Amino acid sequence: MDANLILSYLDQVLVFVVFAVSLNLLQGYAGQVSVAHAAFGAVGGYTLGYLVLNVAHMSTLEALLIGTLGAALVGVLVAIPALRLTSEWLILLTLAVQTIIVSLPTTISWLGGTYGLQNIPSSAFGHDLAEPTSIFPFFLVLTVIVYAICFRFGESPYGRVLRGIREDEIACRSLGKNVFLYKTVIFGVTAGMAGLAGAMQVVNNTVASPALFDFNQSSTMVAMVVIGGAGNLIGSIIGVLALVLMGPIFEHVLNFGADAAALWRLIAFGVVLIVVLMVRPAGLFPDKVTRRLGKTLDRLKKQPEPPSDFIPKPDLEEMHVIEDHLSAADKVTVMPRAVAITEASANGTTSGAAAGDIVLTVKGITKRFGGITAAENLDMQLRRGTITALVGPNGAGKTTVFNLLTGAIAPDAGEVILGGENIVGLTPDKVANRGMARSFQNVRVFPRMSVLENVMLGVQHQPGEHVGPLFLNIPRVQKVEKEVRERAREWLTFVGMADFADAPAGSLAFGQQKLVALARVLSTEAEVLLLDEPASGIDFQWVNVMLQLIEQIRAQGRTVCIVEHNLHVVERLADHTYFMELGRITAQGSFAELTTDKRLAEAYFGTA
Amino acid sequence: MQGLNFANFLQLAVNGLSNGTAYALIGVGFGLILGVSGRFHIAFAITYTLAAYVMAMLTTWYGWNFWLAMLASALAAAILGALMERLVYLPLSLRALSVGSDPLLVMFVASLGLVVIGRNAIALAFLSQTSVNISGFANSGQNVGPVTITTLNMTLVATSWALIFLLTAVLNYTALGRMVRAVRANWEMSLCIGIDPSVIFVVVFAIGSFLSGVAGVFQGTLTSATPDMGLPPLFYALVVAFVAGLTSSPIRVALLGLAFGELEALSSLFLPTQFAPLVVFAILFIYVAMRPVKLADLRRSLSRRKSPAIPG
Repeated sequence: MDANLILSYLDQVLVFVVFAVSLNLLQGYAGQVSVAHAAFGAVGGYTLGYLVLNVAHMSTLEALLIGTLGAALVGVLVAIPALRLTSEWLILLTLAVQTIIVSLPTTISWLGGTYGLQNIPSSAFGHDLAEPTSIFPFFLVLTVIVYAICFRFGESPYGRVLRGIREDEIACRSLGKNVFLYKTVIFGVTAGMAGLAGAMQVVNNTVASPALFDFNQSSTMVAMVVIGGAGNLIGSIIGVLALVLMGPIFEHVLNFGADAAALWRLIAFGVVLIVVLMVRPAGLFPDKVTRRLGKTLDRLKKQPEPPSDFIPKPDLEEMHVIEDHLSAADKVTVMPRAVAITEASANGTTSGAAAGDIVLTVKGITKRFGGITAAENLDMQLRRGTITALVGPNGAGKTTVFNLLTGAIAPDAGEVILGGENIVGLTPDKVANRGMARSFQNVRVFPRMSVLENVMLGVQHQPGEHVGPLFLNIPRVQKVEKEVRERAREWLTFVGMADFADAPAGSLAFGQQKLVALARVLSTEAEVLLLDEPASGIDFQWVNVMLQLIEQIRAQGRTVCIVEHNLHVVERLADHTYFMELGRITAQGSFAELTTDKRLAEAYFGTA
Repeated sequence: MQGLNFANFLQLAVNGLSNGTAYALIGVGFGLILGVSGRFHIAFAITYTLAAYVMAMLTTWYGWNFWLAMLASALAAAILGALMERLVYLPLSLRALSVGSDPLLVMFVASLGLVVIGRNAIALAFLSQTSVNISGFANSGQNVGPVTITTLNMTLVATSWALIFLLTAVLNYTALGRMVRAVRANWEMSLCIGIDPSVIFVVVFAIGSFLSGVAGVFQGTLTSATPDMGLPPLFYALVVAFVAGLTSSPIRVALLGLAFGELEALSSLFLPTQFAPLVVFAILFIYVAMRPVKLADLRRSLSRRKSPAIPG
């Protein structure tokens, strides 16, 4: 093969690397499956072709830039309706986008119809980009830039949030992440990169035609990302190489005719795709947490005995000693350093506040779903340094109260006052930012992320989670990242899970996941913690550990509200108890007061 | 753009009837597979295409009777569909479940792989011909009042609706139908009452692929068979099945398919004809984009994830 031929294959490789790496950022990291990636390429490619052909003095570089921005804009427009969709609907939506965008040029005469725009000249830096030799360095530079940007987005605190979104959007929002903003940004960025790749494709072919950007192209890109491994950019490059270089192997090594070689190449690619899925479902080169998760699960399958009889040791002995001999004020000194950070942090409202102050006031919250009243005129108060319990039969609306307080559901009427402000109408992430965080009954840890990363996601105010500092203030991002890691470790030490920091959260037993979830909600350093059934589904010894931890949290001066069915737990923890029935609070007081109430004793607590 | 007169409207409505019936048939077949097995079976396009090619070979090369050849072609599609489920999807879904990755995405990508293999294998087998023709049907135009309809289109409409009603009857009134509906409602629970979902999955793949085969044969007869003929109808099938709802009765799915066909045909009263295919996708885009979040339970049943969106 002569050098020109090799270079022309390499040019093709670079175009698809830009496509695949950007799609991996969207699909592998952020978990948003899109079959419209080639369509965004069409936006960039057609824009370049049209501008170069029709606008005088338009240089290739300018047209490339405009095409990229145009595709990014279309990406943002598509992201807006896509924000609330789950993967199957997202596939459907992007399929519609793909079909519509690629059909448009065939129906618009000035875009060249089915044959597209032909004979598009291009040049850059005084070189005519007609030969593979002049195209290659130009493309290489563009590809390196795109790769670097994708790498920065993916392998950074920003990418951690994206992976959190991939794993569990609701949990991510509960930790104060503006999921919609992240999705919009990443849709826009990756669509822009696809637009650039499309423009490169047009430069390379001197033609902009629908066939270059059709559904087959989009689905090939999805396949490249999956073969290489989601969440691993190098893997995507290997996926591209696998597809593109199969062509010359069939054509020049096995000496098939050009037509047959093109078909054989695709057949082989399809076979490789299915074999990879069978043998390595996470792709050839999955990211390291997924790799570990796979290993752990394999190991668990091989040894059917219980995975571990581990009981977390959050300094148990020490805690007994503390409880027996030390005053409440001294307890704080054995808290992890992270607590000291909280107390000392700029959060002025925290310092100097006394226990017993009202932190959260709920006034007349009401919510109806059709004819069903889930919450009727609820009034509640949470006081600093106390634990408030919400009890009541199943279906009373206790978890709904949490959803109403955190903005997961908007109430029909009423106010929730936190720090002197009504927070009704704020989204869950805004509520978390204001200092109220919740845990979930079914834990909702991020399974394909390490335990440490799970907890790091809870830490607030990370500059690396915002696009500006991520690229413009790298030293600060690195410095804060180190601190965040340190804090997350401290919280893990606090709950006794530090030894598991590198394990994928999905590989842990349920009780361990509950502790990780607790560490995660604690790491938000929110003043008000809403814990949904913290002690359910775990065995006796674990319950004890969990309760000691919650008591410690109270001792730090945090405000805790729990929903709990286990009355022993309520008896031990609750300073104040609300009793809910059918969406109303029908009684309140100390646990002892409620259990001696005759009606409640018969209806719920049972008579002794 | 055509003038707004009644005869014109009727003719377009008749055209819409035959297109819409084809959408109905593939929508029902695809929807049955997706609704029961949860597989995002893009390779539906391949069973559709295969049947058209088998049909072309049997009629043009071997001179088979049209109906006999159609039955054989649709059965070939059914067998291919069942094999795809048994040899590819089922092992993959078990594997995906065991490593905790999203089965939906894995199925989707595997299906893309099958499309790539199938499409190119057919193109390779018929490398010298860009399209092949199906013979054996004496097609003629019939004038009914102001409109013209071909006998082929009439046959398409009659056969398709007969099959759709037959499937509805099977689902509603037979033991097999009850088992299919049980698996569709909850495959894990169906295990407890002695139904093997993996067998039912193979059965619905066979049925759905059979319907795709019939649709492919008619399309191939109307025009000709090409390696890429399966993709556009697949898109329509997706749209029809999703918008109708995955647990809907075949009749409902079919009526929606018919409505899309009519809408597309009648849109040419207002829009240049080349925009007609865009209409359905524009509607899909608006539908999906404006779709309220309340269909959460449907999505959950599809993705088979255990955790509800909001615990409570």
